Amino acid sequence: MHSVCCIKQVPDTAEVRIDPDTNTLVRAGVESISNPYDIVALEEAVSLKDRYGGRVTALCMGPPQAEHSLREALSLGADRVILLSDRAFAGADTLATSYTLSKAMEKLAKEHPIDLVFCGKQAIDGDTAQTGPGIATRLDCTQFTYVLKVDWVDLQKRQIQVTRKREGGREVIRGPLPALLTAELELAVPRRASLPLLISSLQAQVEAWDAKTLEASLNELGIKGSPTWVRAITSPPAREGGPAFDVSREGEAQAVSMALDTLMDEKGFLSKLLKRWEA
Amino acid sequence: MAKNSKGIEVAEILQDKCIACQICIGECPVGAIDLSPEGLALVDPELCIGCGKCQESCPVEAVKFERAGKKELSREDRGMPSEGVPGYEGVAVFIEVQDGEGVQVSWELMGKARELAEKLSTRVLGFLLGEGVDHIAREAFAHGCDEVHVSEHEVLASYRSAPYGHALTRLCERVKPEILLMGATHQGRDLAGVVATHLKTGLTADCTDLSIEDRTRLLLMTRPTFGGNIMATIYCEHRRPQMSTVRPMVMKLPERTPGREGRKVFHEWTPPPVELPHIVEFMGDALEGGMDIVQSAALVVAGMGACDPEAFHLLQELADVVGGTLACSRPVVEAGLLPYERQVGQTGKTVAPKLYIAVGVSGAIQHLVAIQGAEKIVAINPDPNAPIFKVADVGIVGDYARVIPEFINQLKNRMGA
Ligand SMILES: Cc1cc2nc3c(=O)[nH]c(=O)nc-3n(C[C@H](O)[C@H](O)[C@H](O)COP(=O)(O)OP(=O)(O)OC[C@H]3O[C@@H](n4cnc5c(N)ncnc54)[C@H](O)[C@@H]3O)c2cc1C
Ligand SMILES: Cc1cc2nc3c(=O)[nH]c(=O)nc-3n(C[C@H](O)[C@H](O)[C@H](O)COP(=O)(O)OP(=O)(O)OC[C@H]3O[C@@H](n4cnc5c(N)ncnc54)[C@H](O)[C@@H]3O)c2cc1C
Ligand code: SF4
Ligand code: SF4
Repeated sequence: MHSVCCIKQVPDTAEVRIDPDTNTLVRAGVESISNPYDIVALEEAVSLKDRYGGRVTALCMGPPQAEHSLREALSLGADRVILLSDRAFAGADTLATSYTLSKAMEKLAKEHPIDLVFCGKQAIDGDTAQTGPGIATRLDCTQFTYVLKVDWVDLQKRQIQVTRKREGGREVIRGPLPALLTAELELAVPRRASLPLLISSLQAQVEAWDAKTLEASLNELGIKGSPTWVRAITSPPAREGGPAFDVSREGEAQAVSMALDTLMDEKGFLSKLLKRWEA
Repeated sequence: MAKNSKGIEVAEILQDKCIACQICIGECPVGAIDLSPEGLALVDPELCIGCGKCQESCPVEAVKFERAGKKELSREDRGMPSEGVPGYEGVAVFIEVQDGEGVQVSWELMGKARELAEKLSTRVLGFLLGEGVDHIAREAFAHGCDEVHVSEHEVLASYRSAPYGHALTRLCERVKPEILLMGATHQGRDLAGVVATHLKTGLTADCTDLSIEDRTRLLLMTRPTFGGNIMATIYCEHRRPQMSTVRPMVMKLPERTPGREGRKVFHEWTPPPVELPHIVEFMGDALEGGMDIVQSAALVVAGMGACDPEAFHLLQELADVVGGTLACSRPVVEAGLLPYERQVGQTGKTVAPKLYIAVGVSGAIQHLVAIQGAEKIVAINPDPNAPIFKVADVGIVGDYARVIPEFINQLKNRMGA
């Protein structure tokens, strides 16, 4: 079985902040990490390999320093890693990203046909969750998004069954291989890298492919291949905060009373409350 | 202003503004820009030819570049035609169906589509897929839709990505709407990526605001990115339809006009001859005696500052008094005290209740992005500097264990109980 994992290098968004004084993004000291959902997906691919045999290839499209994410993939059990790096890839939206990644997979499939493609549910910076469906559509794979569990793979019958999230619950669904899965955090618990793998991953040569290697059409790559365009970036709209009443100054009874006065100030609030919010 | 050894005034990137979107890297005609080891854009001054393209293209004004008689790059300069895309008309909404009815977000979008269509002087279209669903068209008309386009087939009886993607793509090709809106639900996001890829058009995810730009008639789509830390406004100039998924509960549900009429058009659809996945089983979320927090008009939200089973009795009592439901922040779910279905936030649910009472919630950005639509926010927290107070309409600085019983008492009094 051949699984391909798509891994994106992202800034650790938990640390990205808007500076309230200058209204700019504060990125100083923000580390780049591998998208957490992708590491979960990789873990599932590697444990399926342990169960069914085969190989795991990891792909990352990004600038040269994104190779750190691929070394991490090696240390976590990927057999082969490929960095897709070219100026022509820069500024890609999800249409161009899915094009680039699927071109790489078409090339890989010539050596070893692909059974499963793994993506994260979404990248924590772009947050679109669109790259996975884009790849599945381009490669004509069965698409399973928001996957919580891989129940089984049957390589003879060329079938896979997964449990996935959908509105109002979860569904068990089965379909033909090749399939593309996007991973929820519940899909797997990433292992820790073993020391020997960690050392060998640091020494490994990371293979790099550019637009030429992919035999890609330049008009579909990067900015040129991206129909969406960012017009402006702003900080989220600020809500106007109201008064806060301090218990240590007013005492409980008084603070609560003042707070309720403020709430009831709005006409109709009490009557809405009394009507249990029914219009 | 820096000059290079050839005397050219070169561009410089303001490291504190750059968000590493890499757009300038793709735009620079001579490949003078790269990402630095810190992951930010950096200009090689010796390669730079001073054309200014990077400055024109940067969305956050992170490029410092001055030039006499500086002009804005026209679309032609960027190698793009300047007229819109002819032949596409109408604002379409994909009507998501659950249990034989249209889901609420589809009607919220219908209201927004009405507003956009009026600005564009065009019609509102509804796209409806399924089996035995054409009665839903009536609801669509009542919510402001002018024309419903329906494809019905047994294969469409339950949602699966490939046949739905195929059928919706066909409807777009036939009807040619200029805009297509879908709910940013699991299904909507699963489907939108398929359709946009078939149509090779732009798709903006998870939007919280949509508007029409007067000058260009383009759809401006605003969405939170970087985990809610920044808002990006995105547009799609050259491909149609302009596609967007929109979060539930952010657009206002339009007034329903029963009996409002419209046109219904049926479109034949034949499924592609491929093996389709098969749904083996569906397991609904157990809501354990509570309501869906997204539907609830009032929420009492427990944070880590009120994260023990004892506190929950008190909070539940408060929830009962205000006619609401108990919800929580992420760490409370992680601590195993409430199920995931109750989580509010970026990785939980987006809510827009009439009343939102935060108890022991600090107000992290990942939490706040999901409560923007709340009508009244009340916060109870002993830390006067907690960010939740910046967004709360009313705050009480104090320990919940003493404040809430008092709150319940006084509220009951005022309610005449
Ligand atoms: C502020 C901002 C807003 C944006 N908004 C939009 C938008 O609305 N629409 C749009 O089309 N584009 C948008 N983009 C561009 C988008 O972020 C990029 O196209 C990006 O390459 C992929 O999208 P994502 O980060 O949302 O990933 P997602 O689609 O959320 O990623 C899902 C999965 O795809 C895989 N994957 C994604 N990128 C890579 C990669 N480079 N290498 C390997 N695997 C990968 C990973 O497995 C990942 O978990 C935006 C960019 C910025 C900076
Ligand atoms: C990618 C990502 C996604 C995330 N998604 C979500 C999400 O969906 N939802 C979410 O909520 N979080 C999310 N988080 C986590 C978020 O960053 C915060 O860590 C979290 O919201 C904090 O929860 P809290 O306010 O309950 O706890 P804390 O931040 O620990 O705050 C506890 C508060 O309780 C107050 N307190 C203490 N004692 C009392 C008392 N006696 N009475 C009253 N108050 C008291 C304290 O002053 C403090 O302000 C996400 C984080 C990341 C990185
Ligand atoms: S000014 Fe022109 S040449 Fe110089 S870095 Fe910017 S885009 Fe490249
Ligand atoms: S376009 Fe602006 S924000 Fe984007 S990488 Fe270049 S300088 Fe940074």
